[in-house]
Amino acid sequence: MDPQEELIAEAGAMVAMSGFVNVSTTLRKGKGGGVFGGLKRMLGGESLFMSVFRSGNSSAELYLAPKLIGDILPYTLKETELVVQSTGYMASTPGVDIDLGFTGFKSLFSGESLFWLTVSGSGLVLLSAFGGIYEIDVDGEYVVDTGHIVAFERTLDYSISKANKSWAGALFGGEGFVCQFRGHGKVFCQTHNPGSFGRLVGGKLPPR
Amino acid sequence: MKYEVRYKPAFATLFVTLQPGERIFAEAGAMASMDGQVSMSTGFFGGLIPGLLKAFLGGESLCLNQFANRTNTPQTLVLTQSTIGDIARMELTGNELCLQPGAYIAHSSGIKVQLQWAGFASWFAGEGLFKLKLSGRGLVFFGAYGGLSEVTVRDEFIVDNGHLVAYEPGIKMNIGLSGGIFGSIASGEGFINRLRGRGKIYLQSRSMDGLVRFLRTKLR
Repeated sequence: MDPQEELIAEAGAMVAMSGFVNVSTTLRKGKGGGVFGGLKRMLGGESLFMSVFRSGNSSAELYLAPKLIGDILPYTLKETELVVQSTGYMASTPGVDIDLGFTGFKSLFSGESLFWLTVSGSGLVLLSAFGGIYEIDVDGEYVVDTGHIVAFERTLDYSISKANKSWAGALFGGEGFVCQFRGHGKVFCQTHNPGSFGRLVGGKLPPR
Repeated sequence: MKYEVRYKPAFATLFVTLQPGERIFAEAGAMASMDGQVSMSTGFFGGLIPGLLKAFLGGESLCLNQFANRTNTPQTLVLTQSTIGDIARMELTGNELCLQPGAYIAHSSGIKVQLQWAGFASWFAGEGLFKLKLSGRGLVFFGAYGGLSEVTVRDEFIVDNGHLVAYEPGIKMNIGLSGGIFGSIASGEGFINRLRGRGKIYLQSRSMDGLVRFLRTKLR
């Protein structure tokens, strides 16, 4: 970080930093801010708190890491909007507004996280994933399993639906719910599905 | 059909391009994303009854999804596995390949999938009651938890339980204790698999049981 710089990160993401970096915990200001915004964020699987790192008068070092093993993607916002799966957010610069959106009841059935974060404004957003991140430039129609979405540009239209046309196929086909994107814009997908890895391992663990 | 395995070896993922009229079959849940024009349909793994047996006794999915390109332009599809790790492919030209439970990801048309009884010894050692046998002509994709090694067995080879992913049918499995009951329990090696015969085998560098044993002690 250069002098007088600031970075906001998901609580718990800090690995290491220069000794003089000023850290404060905040309930994010702005649209998604305050106690209500924090509570909404907690419902979205994110921490109620965010950490703010300030470099002060000298340049500083800061190491951040996500919880899951996988790639990190920097995305630059230029007065644009990006919708991020709630667990995909790791950090952002101060010009970025974070707001919590509700996807509607359709996603209740999908078993995946219910919440999207809408990030807008200008600046850098750091996204994290389970596995690698691949980018798809959608032009027309594209289908992504709900467990594989990291983020997508707001210029895209989306709807959540069954992967299979028949209910039997949807129940037994294993693909469950998918997000159908239409229009022009980028979708960032993660190569692995945290939910299915969790079910695979969790199914073998004793109940708590 | 064009394909490429990217993000090797930790997060290997299969990127497929289907030409008009082509199809690929994949394990239920393997589809990460695809073009909007790809037609998807669900069938049973090796028929209804073997599918049911496999699901209820083998703890695996009942279904197999078919992805077909019924358009006039190439369509793309991304397939992956539940575990993190490497993906390998094998081209079958009339020969056969057996897969352990959980290893199967996808196969091209021209491949026949059969479910075979693996025996109680296999089940007792945590390897499942059934195994998949693939035959015919085409491509088979399978995955591992961790890295994959290919070994050519000529006479006898010993593999720790839970590390065998795939093997050619010329190999016979004999599951046993690594060294007496007490020694097996004390050393943590548990069951071993004594492979005899000639053919290729594929091993995974990590085992799911190892991860589960590690996590179990961390649970509160």
